[in-house]
Amino acid sequence: MLSESARMTTAHEAGFRIQEPNSKQRSIKVIALDKASAVLVDQIAKDGWRGASFFTSLSFVAQQNPQSTSGESVQAWLNDLAGRTMDLMSEVANSDFVVVVTCAGEDARAVTVIADACAHYHKSLLSLVVPQEGMSEADVEVSLKHLRPHSRMLVVAQGIDYIEVMLSALRAA
Amino acid sequence: MLKKEQNEYLTQTGPGTPMGELFRCYWLPVLLSEELPEPDCPPVRVKILSERMVAFRDTEGKLGLIDEFCAHRGPSLWFGRNEECGLRCPYHGWKFDVNGQCVEVPSEPAESGYAKKIKLKSYPLIEKGGVLWTYMGPPDKRPPEPEYEFCSVPLKQTYTSKRLQECNWLQAMEGGIDSSHVSFLHRGDLHNDPLFKGAAGNKYNLGDLSPVFEVVESPGGLLIGARRNAEDDQYYWRITPFVMPCYTGVPPRGDHPMHGHFWVPIDDHNCWAWSYDYHPTRALTDEEVAAMKDGKGVHVKNIPGTYIPLANKTNDYLMDRAAQKAGRTFSGVAGIGMQDASLQESMGPICDRTKENLVGTDNGIIMARHRLMRAAKALAEKGTIPPGVDVEHQKVRQAALLLKRNVPYAEGAKEALKAKKGVRQTSV
Repeated sequence: MLSESARMTTAHEAGFRIQEPNSKQRSIKVIALDKASAVLVDQIAKDGWRGASFFTSLSFVAQQNPQSTSGESVQAWLNDLAGRTMDLMSEVANSDFVVVVTCAGEDARAVTVIADACAHYHKSLLSLVVPQEGMSEADVEVSLKHLRPHSRMLVVAQGIDYIEVMLSALRAA
Repeated sequence: MLKKEQNEYLTQTGPGTPMGELFRCYWLPVLLSEELPEPDCPPVRVKILSERMVAFRDTEGKLGLIDEFCAHRGPSLWFGRNEECGLRCPYHGWKFDVNGQCVEVPSEPAESGYAKKIKLKSYPLIEKGGVLWTYMGPPDKRPPEPEYEFCSVPLKQTYTSKRLQECNWLQAMEGGIDSSHVSFLHRGDLHNDPLFKGAAGNKYNLGDLSPVFEVVESPGGLLIGARRNAEDDQYYWRITPFVMPCYTGVPPRGDHPMHGHFWVPIDDHNCWAWSYDYHPTRALTDEEVAAMKDGKGVHVKNIPGTYIPLANKTNDYLMDRAAQKAGRTFSGVAGIGMQDASLQESMGPICDRTKENLVGTDNGIIMARHRLMRAAKALAEKGTIPPGVDVEHQKVRQAALLLKRNVPYAEGAKEALKAKKGVRQTSV
């Protein structure tokens, strides 16, 4: 007699798997940390993602948010791609996890404030470094050094192609 | 997750499929040398990449890998007589050499030249490091012979085994680059397994169950670094190389031999899990080889005379619920290899990746799939030789090391990740 494992691992049995969705729509916040990565994020956002929203941190300032009622100690601002100013804490609080993107050689220090917000709300921070043309390994390493202490996962991504693939794989589409 | 068509793209490796064409750019392990131990030994059936063949070692010791079926009326040449420099079909006596060339059709006059017009498809078969390798692509694109370190060191320094895994190659290979499962599924084995235990680095694995990951592309594939906190302002790094299309290395522990895998598709529902162990600078000890033969470390105990694991799906992997409850094993299945295989086979013949929910720490898997797809498309559209064919890409090592937190990973581990003749592995 066949064992249960032998019977249940056939292609025929695979046809009886429940076809109901097993997860809900994701909410991933994708934040560009610098001007160069903002261009990439802007380009990616054009594809229309149901489970991801996109921001730049260009107007990132560590000051009290007058509209905030949360009373959190970490207050900072993000710009969404429509130019609206958004409260970082609220965005992080309403996310499943946060993705930050920086281009190698650019200033990625803004990650520290985002990391604080992620830590406050116990959200994972996933960091992507995109090498730019003409950049050396040392430039990439400088970016990694900024991101490393804060990131649960650190990826050197070859261009927006990979970022899109990753977001799809994480069900942001 | 993957879309259905992406999943099919990556998992189908038969002739004419994009991934099948990609696999046909590489030398792949086919048999252990022990399976064809001497001239005129019995032939062996081989099936990889959904093609059925028969392998034999002729009277002069030459290796052949040819179409399994006789060109006359189609019986399997596995029944053939391996004699006088050829494999003779026992049905009507047709005989084929190691290149698949028919050399004798007894029913026709030898002078007629009829035999010369009959040739079975054949692939080159070479022997290296105790393993027989084949290349199934176009002859004019044949790459240089493989130079993975495990098959390049002297034979006394290396040991390789294989086992049947009854699922698609990709879900098996993905287990090899999924470092985050080790702290759960294999946690019992770090203490007990003779090929793992005693390493100073084990305490970091067991002390920090939330490693942080870094993934970077390497010339031949990927490097996946798992970082854990260590004392004295240091990080403990375990770095796993993936070389395309299906080679993975497990970061070492202490002075134990280094191990890893090759995951070779048999067809779309089965693969061969190859497991190697080698030491770059010393012979394996008798105790180490005995442990490997006994199914310890990454190896598995097979049913004698076969390459089918003793614990397999037909006996529910000898599931031991008492051991699971007591924590001797985390899943109830004994041995690292079968702990992995049992779960990977339970996903079904081909894992339905449309239903999976990956998280950020699965980026190694996401990037490996991306690189494979990208390479298969570049090959199909532009004829681009994929990563991992160049033997320099194969000269990569797994590593486990302590680095000061301010030392860049790429710099601190750079030399440790290169395979160098006569240089010991970097391991903690």
